[in-house]
Amino acid sequence: MPAYNTIAFHADRCDGCGKCMIACAQAKSASDSPRRARLEVLADDAGRFELTMCRQCADPECVQSCPAAALAKNAATGVIEWDHDKCIDCLLCTVGCSFAGIALDEAAGHVVKCDQCGGDPACVRACKPGALEYLTMARIYDEAGSLEDLFVQGLSACQGCNTELIMRHTLRRVGPDTVVAAPPGCVPGMGAVGYNGLTGTKVPVFHPLLTNTAPMLAGLKRVYKRKGRQVTALALAGDGGAADVGFQSLSGAAERGEEILFLVIDNEGYMNTGMQRSSCTPYGAWTTTTPVGRESHGKSQDAKNLPLLMVGHRCAYVATASTAFMADFYLKLDRALQASKTGFAYLHVYSPCTTGWRFPSKKNIEVARKAVESNFVLLWEYTPAAGLRLTRSVDDPVPLSEYLVALGKYRHLTPEQVAHLEQHIAENVAAIKRHALAEAAAPPASTRPGISSAGALQGPPASQA
Amino acid sequence: MAAVAPLPSGRVLACDGNEAAALAVALARVDMVAVYPITPQSSLVEYLAKFIADGRLQAELVDAEGEHSVLSVLQGAALAGARTFTATSGPGLAFMFEPYLRTPGMRLPIVMSIVTRDTLTPQCVWGGHQDAMSVREAGWVQMYCETVQEVLDTTIIAYRVAEQRDVMLPVNVCHDGNYLSYGTARIELPEQDAVDTFLGAPDVNWHAALDPDRPMAVDPLTGGPAGAGPATFVRYRRGQCAGMHRALDAIRDAHREWARLTGRNHAPLIERYRMEDAECAIVTLGSMTGAAKDAVDEARAAGRRVGLVKVKTFRPFPATDVADALCKLRSFGVVDRSVDFAWNCGPLYREVVTALQGGTRTATSQSFIGGLAGADLTVEHFQRVIETVGQMREVAGPRDTVWLDAQE
Repeated sequence: MPAYNTIAFHADRCDGCGKCMIACAQAKSASDSPRRARLEVLADDAGRFELTMCRQCADPECVQSCPAAALAKNAATGVIEWDHDKCIDCLLCTVGCSFAGIALDEAAGHVVKCDQCGGDPACVRACKPGALEYLTMARIYDEAGSLEDLFVQGLSACQGCNTELIMRHTLRRVGPDTVVAAPPGCVPGMGAVGYNGLTGTKVPVFHPLLTNTAPMLAGLKRVYKRKGRQVTALALAGDGGAADVGFQSLSGAAERGEEILFLVIDNEGYMNTGMQRSSCTPYGAWTTTTPVGRESHGKSQDAKNLPLLMVGHRCAYVATASTAFMADFYLKLDRALQASKTGFAYLHVYSPCTTGWRFPSKKNIEVARKAVESNFVLLWEYTPAAGLRLTRSVDDPVPLSEYLVALGKYRHLTPEQVAHLEQHIAENVAAIKRHALAEAAAPPASTRPGISSAGALQGPPASQA
Repeated sequence: MAAVAPLPSGRVLACDGNEAAALAVALARVDMVAVYPITPQSSLVEYLAKFIADGRLQAELVDAEGEHSVLSVLQGAALAGARTFTATSGPGLAFMFEPYLRTPGMRLPIVMSIVTRDTLTPQCVWGGHQDAMSVREAGWVQMYCETVQEVLDTTIIAYRVAEQRDVMLPVNVCHDGNYLSYGTARIELPEQDAVDTFLGAPDVNWHAALDPDRPMAVDPLTGGPAGAGPATFVRYRRGQCAGMHRALDAIRDAHREWARLTGRNHAPLIERYRMEDAECAIVTLGSMTGAAKDAVDEARAAGRRVGLVKVKTFRPFPATDVADALCKLRSFGVVDRSVDFAWNCGPLYREVVTALQGGTRTATSQSFIGGLAGADLTVEHFQRVIETVGQMREVAGPRDTVWLDAQE
């Protein structure tokens, strides 16, 4: 898969000068009118800018919408090319596109779209503040379109839910020779495991008990291994089932080195059943079972560090990830998948819950990013051979308040409670650094029988997205 | 494959019930065994672990971290097509209850020995049927064994019943903790060829599979306030009941075929012992039957018209056979090794009385409870039962349960 390029837009750098549009019109339509441009910068009521332009999607809806095969993604360049000879001017592509990236040019009499000017986009050259940037995309965005989405359309997640994002990208990458087990929680709640005779998943899917995801997958995987068949056993579990009532069976399977890819989507509580507290709920957080009242002010204990507990099992691979850092997540997913062929692979993905954490659904990625930038969430990975290492620097975090202020579940926090959280984060950072240092100083870890040294996991270090 | 000592099939040997069950599992060529130790079952899975370690049984072994995971491992394995086995007792069965309750609905033909043990509290590690009786409504087939030989034969028969396509249900082979688990007896081992012919290849997941080659959602959410959901749910439930009912014939047929192959003729549902011209009878379950038969023999020798009915298949309950065996008697007593707390009697007693409802004549009956917490049920106990039952005349309302080991 070649690395494709895209034109990225940094709204915070845009001053609305409009020179990009004029440059485009000149280059593509021999006109000075911004109306003939193939991109448009728009200001909203608050004075912020948005860009409408072709994203050269990996999974292009315009191509799928076109009844005449006039649109196709060029496998070499990644550019979606429009063929005038085939186009029947039906405009269905303009309906299919979510980004207004293809539109009717009335003067030309047909649809037009960005072709990246053959690798030297005129708009980018014209943009002095650097709001437009021509850059190489992370692999996930290039690859996604060539891999089948193995969940059905129309899963009924809450608006803005990132769990669906994680699920779809994960299963695309893991592929069809997979059995998915999704214990009770948001994943089944949105319809992935099926309902009344229908299924939400194109691969075999099972809705295990909240308590037994890991062992049922272990039994299944062992049988396929005996039969000489390559089948990935994939768990898509929540933090409650994994850290609380299912922890014993998770721990047992990890200790035995069962060859499972166990992915935990951590939304810090039992969100599917109505936002109750789990052991992964942070200190101070409001939930429906840690309510805020005269006598209590949210959860009075710190969150359990489940991924670090999994390191204690010396799993073949353990990593944390965040939906705000998808390229990092995707790299770790690769490593976890590889590790699951020889041992227990554990991937812990933080996924903010718009419904349960009380914030606007459009802010989900922003919230996830602030969690990482403030060190509320730490990104790291572990293998028995290489030990634990941070995959994103924890130095120079943004103030915790920038994260907390975004969330309704922390609205009631007193200064003392905020201080407690800050102290907890400092301890967390120190603990992870100690782990990382200790692992770095230790002699090469010996390996357990049945677990490979995870040598197959070598590759470029997971860099920050 | 390195040459290994074959199982001593087709031979006579002396062993206890736990080893007999393990030998049966090996002869059934099970693909997956998941284990967790608990008294009085532990030696059973130790035998299996050793068979696998020695290469005498080519199976996966999962040393799980608890019984809940043991049965969960078997569910996953069965959904991938494996023939599976485990064994448990008392508190282990209680801990396993969540996946246990789910197994019959998924129609997974898992076979599990319950090496029966009395339940807590008081804290107790000795035999009694309370564990198996406590799960009697969960939907598993349950057969109780009388002898070590019957443990071996029934464990093999269980796979044939479980995997019969119009049954597809999990089976418990129950054998008494202490008395059968550790009691050593002479047994005959069947030939491996005979077992292979009897069972055929595993036929486990034709109906519900987690297999990328035939993708499906296994056990999706089913139900809702109206419409197709609840109707689908009802269809599953009725199908499960029908499979359970058909198990009666399947158990009968399997025993008949086993007798043809091995010459060993165990009564499949109930055994009628010296019931010709009997006026009264003892109804028994499990290993107590041996002592009860001796007591019946003595009473017969003394000219008393007394017989015995042993219930082997407890789930599904062979109501027609039981009613047919007992309906013409003057009186009978049912001896239970467990308690039905709601009715203050033995659970088998309640089942038997229920089976007799609707008949034209109802015999006078009495519930006896004995052998709890590992206590021996002796010939003397059954002499007392025969004495009491022989003196019973008119139906005079509910009779107080007789506790055979009470020291009053």
